[in-house]
Amino acid sequence: MTVIPLKQPSTLQQDVIRLEGIVKGFGGAQALAGASLVVRRGTIHGLVGQNGAGKSTLIKLLAGLHQPDGGRIEIEGQAFDRLTPHLAEELGIHFIHQDRLLVPTFTVGEALFLGREPRIAGTPFLDRRLMQRRAAEILNDYFGVRLPNTALIGDLSTAEKQIVQITRALLNQPKVLVFDEPTAALVRREADILFRLIRRLRDEGVTIIYISHYLNEIEQLCDHVTVLRNGQDVASSPISETSAAAIARLMVERDIQDMFPKPVVALGDEILKVEQLSAPGKYEDVSFTLRRGEVLGLTGLLGSGAKELVRTLFGLEKPASGRIDIGGRPAHLSNPTQATGRNVALVPEDRRRHGIALDLSVKENTSLSSLDRFTRFGFLDRKSEQREVDALIARLQVKASGRDALLRTLSGGNQQKVAIAKWLSRHSEVYLLDEPTVGVDIGSKVEIYTLIGELAARGAGVIVLSSDLPELIGITDRILVFFRGRVVREFASSEATADRVLAESTGSPEGQRHVG
Amino acid sequence: MSLTTTKAANAGLHGVVAASLLRYGLILALIVVFAIFSAITPTFLTLTNLQSVLVNNFPLLAIISIAMTFAVASGGIDLSVGTAMDFASFAFVSLVLAGQPVAIAALAGLAAGALVGAFNALLISVIGVSPFLATLGTLFIGRSVQQLLTNGGNPVYLPPNGVPEVFRFLGHGTLAGFPVPLAIAIIIAVATAVMFVHTRFGRITLSIGIQPSVVRYSGIAAPAYIAATFVLVGLIAAVGGLILTATVTVYIPSSGNAFLLNAIGATFIGTTLSPLGRPNVGGTILGVLLLSIVANGLLLTDLNFYWQQVGTGTLIFAVLALSFINRKAGSGA
Ligand SMILES: Nc1ncnc2c1ncn2[C@@H]1O[C@H](COP(=O)(O)OP(=O)(O)OP(=O)(O)O)[C@@H](O)[C@H]1O
Ligand SMILES: [Mg+2]
Repeated sequence: MTVIPLKQPSTLQQDVIRLEGIVKGFGGAQALAGASLVVRRGTIHGLVGQNGAGKSTLIKLLAGLHQPDGGRIEIEGQAFDRLTPHLAEELGIHFIHQDRLLVPTFTVGEALFLGREPRIAGTPFLDRRLMQRRAAEILNDYFGVRLPNTALIGDLSTAEKQIVQITRALLNQPKVLVFDEPTAALVRREADILFRLIRRLRDEGVTIIYISHYLNEIEQLCDHVTVLRNGQDVASSPISETSAAAIARLMVERDIQDMFPKPVVALGDEILKVEQLSAPGKYEDVSFTLRRGEVLGLTGLLGSGAKELVRTLFGLEKPASGRIDIGGRPAHLSNPTQATGRNVALVPEDRRRHGIALDLSVKENTSLSSLDRFTRFGFLDRKSEQREVDALIARLQVKASGRDALLRTLSGGNQQKVAIAKWLSRHSEVYLLDEPTVGVDIGSKVEIYTLIGELAARGAGVIVLSSDLPELIGITDRILVFFRGRVVREFASSEATADRVLAESTGSPEGQRHVG
Repeated sequence: MSLTTTKAANAGLHGVVAASLLRYGLILALIVVFAIFSAITPTFLTLTNLQSVLVNNFPLLAIISIAMTFAVASGGIDLSVGTAMDFASFAFVSLVLAGQPVAIAALAGLAAGALVGAFNALLISVIGVSPFLATLGTLFIGRSVQQLLTNGGNPVYLPPNGVPEVFRFLGHGTLAGFPVPLAIAIIIAVATAVMFVHTRFGRITLSIGIQPSVVRYSGIAAPAYIAATFVLVGLIAAVGGLILTATVTVYIPSSGNAFLLNAIGATFIGTTLSPLGRPNVGGTILGVLLLSIVANGLLLTDLNFYWQQVGTGTLIFAVLALSFINRKAGSGA
């Protein structure tokens, strides 16, 4: 008797997810033009591609948030015309979306259990105690962190919000877990925790789809990788048969010779001087100077005070004592208008809240901070506004259907480019860039680094905050490391290594040398 | 590849249909309403009736609704547009009665309206009260103040022989063939439409309404713009107050509030049925036309006054339903 293996939906399929020839357009713009993705059970599958390649769109089809125009969806061997969010959840597929916001007025416990709150048996009342205990258990077990259950989401840092989102997905005991750029908001220590978690989940049998622009993460973490370009899959292979450089080449169709093009710029006068600046509980006794043409890096873990200092320089927080001089004159910065009045620009970390407005167009977002330039007697000179915007879109390779497209319709990385573009059309003297390349693809990162070099060459002083240490070291002249509110170490970037900077920022330097 | 281009073209076509439905939805609704009333009442489609709509109902509501559109565009609402009208009217009538020249009285009227706006601006931009609560407070305070000023709410008449000629002109005259109130409404509509699209003030006001935090992080003093917006709202409403007084030659305390709900309705209809879902003058004007025609048509059908209100409510529900269908069509494209 011969055994003929029958393909039965009930048997365990080797491929959990098969997406084939998926087509999806948005009113004329083709986001996916026949993309395929096949994911093996129990693997970590990387999905990469340039900004606007269609990664998030593909994932949203899987989540039932968009409907495909064409193509095949097969999950666990079962074919579907389309998925709904409910169906995806029933199939055990869960998501950490790139752009899903948590409700800021919820508590951590509520955010975690929203939609399937446990109830006190036989009553319609929520069992808050149970909710909060389970939340704490999961946070502790998977992340080794403690978040007060009563903390408001709005008060959490970006990284903590992300942890809440991931924890929320884990509560569902997922079969497939999809991460869309999870580390974009995380500092390295937190990212390490995430990687350990992802490997542990894979070993427990969960299938992972992982989207990232950090190709070395893909190389280290993933078992398999698929590259999307212009809405189509251009390659898919086991990670052992490829490399970060090869992936980058497939994505951008060219070799990246110099990741950190840094021009040599002669330093000019002092443009910014910070003296003994203190804000209790945030930072203490911070002093430094920034010269024209200089790119200064700031780094530190969450709560180290670096971010708060940058906010202070943009008039968003008030120092308790100390002094700020800009261009040799004292600056009293009690709101952003005063800061921009002194030619300070800020690209904020939280782009969706502060950097760009999703319901304004590319043009309206880009010119918002420099409307003066396009105004004559109160009237907008729309021609010159359009010219400037078009030039910036081209320069930063913003992929959009046009300057009148709403930011809502742009991919995450392209939104970030607009958040940067809006400050380029205004000639500032001090640029504060907080995580400027979050979510930006590798080719456009190089373009942004080039721009930063140009700003410096033009005579501006630039301060960069980044948790991407190779980036920080590659594009700055000097680096100040913050730890518990103080500057604990200053590096010349040419002498810094990621490990040394990291060691200082975690408060465990090799030696005990300190500045000052 | 050819397959995907057809797909794209289809999606494009679908998108165009949805977009034009949104763009022309209001005009379509107007035509439908027009046809219905023409069919069921013999007097609706007559020159005199249509003239009466355009001359009597439309101009005032249009002006007040345009004022409201600014408040809504900046992300708020102004419940005290009627109060600004009333204060303008009271100042105007009082000064005329006191023997002041009409021009001075009219300027004082405009200033009174702007002052009501400035009071809102103070509450909203300096103290930080939400526009809804601030203007609700102004509405209540304004009502009480008017009662105090008029011995418990008595109308203040202009003596029939003492109504200046300019006054009659403002209320009943014609300008280049247009009745003066209509001409003023058209001028204000054109000027504000240009302001929204072509000035920095308009762009910033709209941006504040869409995402105030981003405007702040762009270094723009949003509270100052919000304050200016509310002063402007009071000023435009004051023009309406002056026209009302000139038409009826009497100041009746708190009479301006009669326009409040319709102004909110017209602004909302115009906003909902615009392609981007943004407050805009053109949409508001179409909303006013729709509301005016429905009110007039219902009046002609001999329905009782309360059924007219039901008519207006139904219209607003219909707009909501239409916009919902449009949004679905748009996102499914
Ligand atoms: N709702 C939408 N309406 C119109 N166009 C859209 C919409 N969503 C996405 N697009 C377009 O589809 C394309 C693919 O976008 P998608 O978000 O999938 O890119 P991505 O690969 O995730 O990029 P990123 O790395 O920047 O996140 C982009 O060109 C984008 O502008
Ligand atoms: Mg994306």
